[in-house]
Formats: sequence, C-alpha cells, structure tokens
Amino acid sequence: MISAGRRKSIAFYIAFGIGLILVILTLYLGWVQLNWRHGALLVLGVLLLIIIISGVILNTISLVREIHRNEQKDAFINAVTHELKTPVASIRLYLETLQTRAVDEEKRREFYRIMLDDSDRLLATIEQVLRTGRMGAAGRGLNLVRIDLTALVEECVARARALHRIAPESLTFQPGADVSIMADLEEVRAAVSNLIDNAVKYSGKNVNVRVETEPLDGHVLVRVKDAGVGIPKTELKRVFRRFHRVPGPLASRVKGTGLGLFIVRSVAKRHGGRAWAESEGAGRGSTFFLQLPVAK
Amino acid sequence: MMKILVVEDELHIAEGLRFNLEAEGYQVEVVETGEAALDLLMAPEAPFDVVVLDVMLPGKDGFAVMSELRQAGQFVPTLMLTARGHPEDILKGFAAGADDYLAKPFELAILLARLRGLLRRRDWLRAPVNHTAAKSQPPDTFTFEDKSVHFDLLELRVRDKVFPLTLMEANLLRYLIRHEGRPVSRKAMLENVWGLHEDTDTRAIDNFIVRLRRYIEDEPTRPRHLLTVRGVGYRFVAAPK
Repeated sequence: MISAGRRKSIAFYIAFGIGLILVILTLYLGWVQLNWRHGALLVLGVLLLIIIISGVILNTISLVREIHRNEQKDAFINAVTHELKTPVASIRLYLETLQTRAVDEEKRREFYRIMLDDSDRLLATIEQVLRTGRMGAAGRGLNLVRIDLTALVEECVARARALHRIAPESLTFQPGADVSIMADLEEVRAAVSNLIDNAVKYSGKNVNVRVETEPLDGHVLVRVKDAGVGIPKTELKRVFRRFHRVPGPLASRVKGTGLGLFIVRSVAKRHGGRAWAESEGAGRGSTFFLQLPVAK
Repeated sequence: MMKILVVEDELHIAEGLRFNLEAEGYQVEVVETGEAALDLLMAPEAPFDVVVLDVMLPGKDGFAVMSELRQAGQFVPTLMLTARGHPEDILKGFAAGADDYLAKPFELAILLARLRGLLRRRDWLRAPVNHTAAKSQPPDTFTFEDKSVHFDLLELRVRDKVFPLTLMEANLLRYLIRHEGRPVSRKAMLENVWGLHEDTDTRAIDNFIVRLRRYIEDEPTRPRHLLTVRGVGYRFVAAPK
C-alpha cells in the first residue's frame, strides 16, 4: 500500500517536471519565432533555456529521492518497532507466566534461557540503533588500539555459534593472515559480528558459513561466505545503504532493521578500508568482504 | 476440548502462548506462516475454536490471511496480535475481519480473558438448543422504522434484506443506539467499543460509519439515522422527523 502511494506521488512529480519542460519549450519556441533576427539574444536564450530545464530536472530528481528516503524511514520505524517490542512482549509473557503459574524446575530453566535470549536480542537492536546514531555524529574520534585480528574474528565466530546455536562445522573460521590492525576494537567487532550474523540469518535452515582472513598488500581482508539466499546484481551496492532492505519475498522473511551493513561500511570507511559484496545471484549464496589496513 | 490455532513466527512468543493456553486446558497448535494457517483453516471442518493471528508474518501477512479467510467464508473467531498498535493498524485488522485485536506487549491475563470472551460469544451464537430454551427471554434486538438489528445473530435486517454484521460493527451500533439522540465523540467510541485509550487520530472510525450507513441508510450520502456531528462525532436517531 505504501509503495502504491509512493508510486503515485513519484509519477505526479515526474509528470509535473515533464509538463513544466513542455511549457518552457512552447514559450521558448514562440519567443524564437518573434525574435529570430537578434542573434546575441538567441544565444542568451538558449543558455537560459538549458539552465532552466536542468533546474527542473534536478528538482524532480531530488523530490523523487526525498519520497524514496521517507518511505525507507517509515519501513525502518516499523522494523525497529517490531524488533524492540517483540522481545519485550516475550520477556513479559514469560515473567507473567512464572508469576501466575506453577512451573516445574525444568520448564523454569528453559524460560530463563528464553528470557536471556530475548534480552540479548533487545540489547543487540538497541546497540545497532545507538551505533548508527554515533556514526552519523561528526567529530567522534576512533579509539585506536593494536588488535590481533585472528583473535578478534575467533571471538566473533564463537559468539555467533553460541547465539544462533550452530555447530562448529556449520560456521568455520580459517585464519590466513597473522596480522594486527590499528583500529577501534568495539567498531571492528561490531562490523565482523554483523557480517557473520547476516550470513547466518540469510542462510535459512542449512547454515554453511565460512569466515576467512587473507593478507592483501598492506591490507587484510575478512571474507564471510555463505550458501544462503544470495543477492541480485542490482542490490549488491544498495544493501550497504542505511535502512535499505532487499525487496522481495526471499529476504523479507528475515527480520532486521536495515542498519547492519550500513554499520559495516561506515566502520570500514572510518578505518581507511572498504566493504563490498559479491553474489552469483538470488539463491546462490553471497560473499561479503571487509578490507582494513594492517598496522605499521 | 477447545482447540486453539496460534499463528506466530516468533517462536518464543508462540511457545509461551502454547504453555499458558495448555495450562488453561486448551488444545494448542502452532504454525509459523500465514500460508500454513490458511491450509489448516481452509480445510473442510477445520477443527479450531479460536485463532490467535500475528500480523508481521513471513510471506503473507496477518491482514491478508484474515481477509482471505473471511472471503472464503471461514468465520472462526480470530484475535489478531501484533507489535503495531496504531489505531490505523487496529482498524485495518477489524476491517479485514478480525474479531479482536491486541497490541504487543500484551498482558497475559487480558489475552486469556479476550480469548475466553471470543469462545463464549461463539458458544452463544452456536447454541440453537439454548435459544429455544431461553425463548421466554426477550431477544437481543432493536427495531427502528422498517429496520431491525439482531445483535445475537449479528444481523441487520432492512425490509427483506439481511446484512451480516461483524462483531465490532454490531458493538459500535449497539453503543450508538444506547446513546440514541445524543452526540457521541469518536474518542468515546474508540474507548468504549474498542477499549483503546490513545490520544491519536480517531478519524479511522469513519470507515465503520460509512459501512454502517451503507446498510442502514436509503441514501448513504444523505444520512437520516447516523448523523455527523461536526467537530464531535456521530449521533444515532431512531425515528427522524
């Protein structure tokens, strides 16, 4: 419904822009017919015409972009509402259950575990949102320290295995570079964790994720390869945009805020590196790369 | 034994609901997608007494599932459950055909009470034996001009035509009739009919009035019974001059 409304308003602005250009052209042609003898004026007129038409086109483009951005913000608010309220609803449900019913010891332990999981999920969402806010705030410096990258990735992999309850052989780590980087520990940890979490989340039931590191002249590459839903060619760059979520049924089955990869890319940029994705297409898995400079 | 279908893809919430509903003595089945729910409910003689339906489902969402069920003539009492608690969302749920709507996070006791209410209402509607037994009781109807509202049957009869009413349409109509002749604010309707206490836009209620006018009024654009009170809300008049 939202996108139908959006398409309508975009169509309106494009039609409006084209209409304006037609009006200008008509006026101009009339003017040329009246003044075709004055050469200098004609040149001036052509220049002005070009300026006006490009102004109209630019204006139309920016309006369409603005509509698109607003729509993404709406979708983001919806997603965050869901991601914040669902764990709270779950925790509340289990607390009320424990409060009002006789629950045997085994169930009680299970409920505690579920509530801890939910509070982790809640915290993860809150951290994502706060981190995005901080990334946008200008002038916040990085707290650069020397980091053993292998140990850091190992830690992220272990955390992901515990969080998603996956067997070690489904999520493997192959360190190929024994290097240190000068980086902000919190930020790099968040970036690597986001990549691994995404790979697991978009893998569906059969998780098969391989994490590798590799030296690459003066840089180090962290590679996260999955055999999941994959990414269409047109979306490979867009997935790193803030709030962006791949449209379509496959990816929309996975819930998220649309902030994870934006954080990855921001972290890479702030450290003088870059982040990108490769995929053979929908349904054929994808590989994400995070490239960071090695400490001197 | 009463059987409840829980359509919820958040497994923690689904399992929490299952535990509580089973503790209440219901039989519970959980499905994770709207498609699975439709498969179960579209089957002839679907053995469910009430459905708890989440809105944000992977694939087909709860609103779509709801309207598909109702269009196919499956009128199993349904409570929609969702993180989206805006009045627009709630009214969208009712428009799709839900019988009740609860926003997450919800209170367990309230959820159970509402489910019990739905089951009770269904039993009342389904008990023809009791109807004849209680024939001495005055029927739950209201008649004005050549129209009559049968609250117990969820029907509105206009001359020889019969319009089925949803539970909420019937409740709204009952509320307006109870305040016959007096203006009723939109806020009061939301509070007393839907049980909502929100300081948000209450205009969405107008959709319900539009629908009721289509049933009641001879000329829906020039209403005689369901009058708009500018800046306030609506007023029901049984016998306009």
